[in-house]
Amino acid sequence: MNGPGAASVASEPIIEVVDVVKVYRDGNIRALDGVSLTVARSEFVSITGPSGCGKSTLLNLLAALDQPTSGVVKVNGRDLRQVKDLSRYRREEVGLVFQLHNLLPQLSALANIEIAMPHSRGRSQSRAERARDLLAEMGLASAERRVPAQLSGGERQRVAIARALANDPGILLADEPTGSLDSASVDNFLQLLRRLRAEHGTTIVMVTHDNEVAAAADRTIEMSDGRVVMAHVS
Amino acid sequence: MPIISVVLHNVWKKKARSLGLALAIAFAVMTVVTLSVVGDGLEQSATAILKVGKANFTIVQKGVPDILNSTIDQGTLTRIRETPGVASAVGVLVETEKINAANPVFIEVGISPSDLKPFGVTVVAGHPYSADATNQMMLGWRAAQHFGIHVGDKFKANGTVNTVVGIFSTGNSFGDDASMFPLPALQGYNRVPGIVTMVFVKTVPGVPVSSVTRRISRNLPELSTITTASQFGRADLTLVFVKAAATGSAILAVVIGAIIVGNTMLLSLFERTREFGLLRAIGWTKTQVLSLVMGEGLVLALVGAGVGVGLSFAAAVALEHVPALIGVLHAHFTTSAFWRGLLTALVMTLLGTFYPALRAALRSPLDALGHE
Ligand SMILES: Nc1ncnc2c1ncn2[C@@H]1O[C@H](COP(=O)(O)OP(=O)(O)O)[C@@H](O)[C@H]1O
Ligand SMILES: [Mg+2]
Repeated sequence: MNGPGAASVASEPIIEVVDVVKVYRDGNIRALDGVSLTVARSEFVSITGPSGCGKSTLLNLLAALDQPTSGVVKVNGRDLRQVKDLSRYRREEVGLVFQLHNLLPQLSALANIEIAMPHSRGRSQSRAERARDLLAEMGLASAERRVPAQLSGGERQRVAIARALANDPGILLADEPTGSLDSASVDNFLQLLRRLRAEHGTTIVMVTHDNEVAAAADRTIEMSDGRVVMAHVS
Repeated sequence: MPIISVVLHNVWKKKARSLGLALAIAFAVMTVVTLSVVGDGLEQSATAILKVGKANFTIVQKGVPDILNSTIDQGTLTRIRETPGVASAVGVLVETEKINAANPVFIEVGISPSDLKPFGVTVVAGHPYSADATNQMMLGWRAAQHFGIHVGDKFKANGTVNTVVGIFSTGNSFGDDASMFPLPALQGYNRVPGIVTMVFVKTVPGVPVSSVTRRISRNLPELSTITTASQFGRADLTLVFVKAAATGSAILAVVIGAIIVGNTMLLSLFERTREFGLLRAIGWTKTQVLSLVMGEGLVLALVGAGVGVGLSFAAAVALEHVPALIGVLHAHFTTSAFWRGLLTALVMTLLGTFYPALRAALRSPLDALGHE
């Protein structure tokens, strides 16, 4: 078993999805109908397809927010069914960015990043320092005191990324992160993702229904009706 | 970020909700603390007389609604004196009189001058009255100070103008606020010849007090023997009712408070469902979400307790000045009243917050985030 910090060769998949089916309990909706895919370490992959094709369902399985009906989801070499402390997995091994409502409205940008470290060891000062560094990296050094309502959509998404990276996870999972941004902010945001991958080797899985956005990734996986229909390299 | 700072932040940022909850808590705390302060005050006033005499125990009539209604006749007093193990038994008559509007319940004790010393009364100025005088009296030093009376001055009470022949001290503020008269003079004016209200008994050294009280209870079943203030509370039916009413109201206040807190919490947590879903999604544990919500309740409980205790002290002081209660109620602020207030707030908040907090913590994060 490889932990997130274990040395591993670049070609080894960091995410492995094998024949995953997800049927929602309350009906006969087969949201995922035998999905298999792999993502290599430090790869930037986008998952695209029409609304309702199962993209979010897949991402939620990767985030351990839900369990597959059948099939295997392996992350960092471990079957997620074997992970006992799922909170810790969500906190330390993956970072999550949603389309909306990523931030707590009553907390400042800085505090919104700090809440990702609820029981980080070390003094609160070092947590604040870490949060400040991340904000600076996102180009938001001057915004640390502002609450979400005082930030633009693009700024909010960058705070969300900073929050997702707070515990230095190897993987960033983003569900329609550009869905509510104007085109200038979208470009800016995608540039940031590419830089993260280049500078930190972060593995990125981004769900989007927008083909132009998807093209920013190294590889695009296209889904339809709960299945992978095509994969191509940009 | 430590959860406590998120807690404080949330409480501070949602001021209207926090204020409403803290006030609900404060109100219940105020009710509980005021009632207990008043109840304690009444008990203190009622039991203070017990502490005037330096007796091993006190005897009153059994089953009287108010201790001052107790009547013990001369024959019974004699039988008490003759009981083996009794060294001395001092019978005193206790009456109250309205002197004026500011002093509606002035305490008058009828006691023989020869009993003053065994009873533990020291004459600090002047001299005791004579046993059969009809217009002599003594004032406790606090009462004398209060009325501005010195030895030799006149004082109208007990149906006549008396000469204050002495000032006494009992070492007890209740006793020192009272007055004393020759026993026959007080019995005569109140038309209860030969009757006393209570008997203070000193036992023979070496004889266990309990054996003496048991013997008296057996021989004189119409009497209650009281060795502690709390037994007195049980002998006095009025006090029993007052305390029962206070306890009932306090429980009601806590229950109503808990319902208000629980209801408000449920509503506000419902609005914050997505917030908790997000926290769980980014790796907060159920325990951490539970702590967050309970922590918010705890902070409100502390604020509510502080405000509530403050309000109750103000209320008790105000009640002391209600004409019907002047002189009867000495609001008794103790640290125990404060702890009771804090406990009330904590119990109430725990009752009101635990279920909403548990719901917030146990909800599946995806469900809470809302499917988008
Ligand atoms: N919690 C759920 N309960 C029932 N059906 C769901 C649930 N979540 C998603 N679905 C259904 O599963 C299918 C895939 O949804 P989703 O993964 O959100 O698609 P996408 O993100 O690609 O738009 C849709 O038909 C959707 O209605
Ligand atoms: Mg979706």
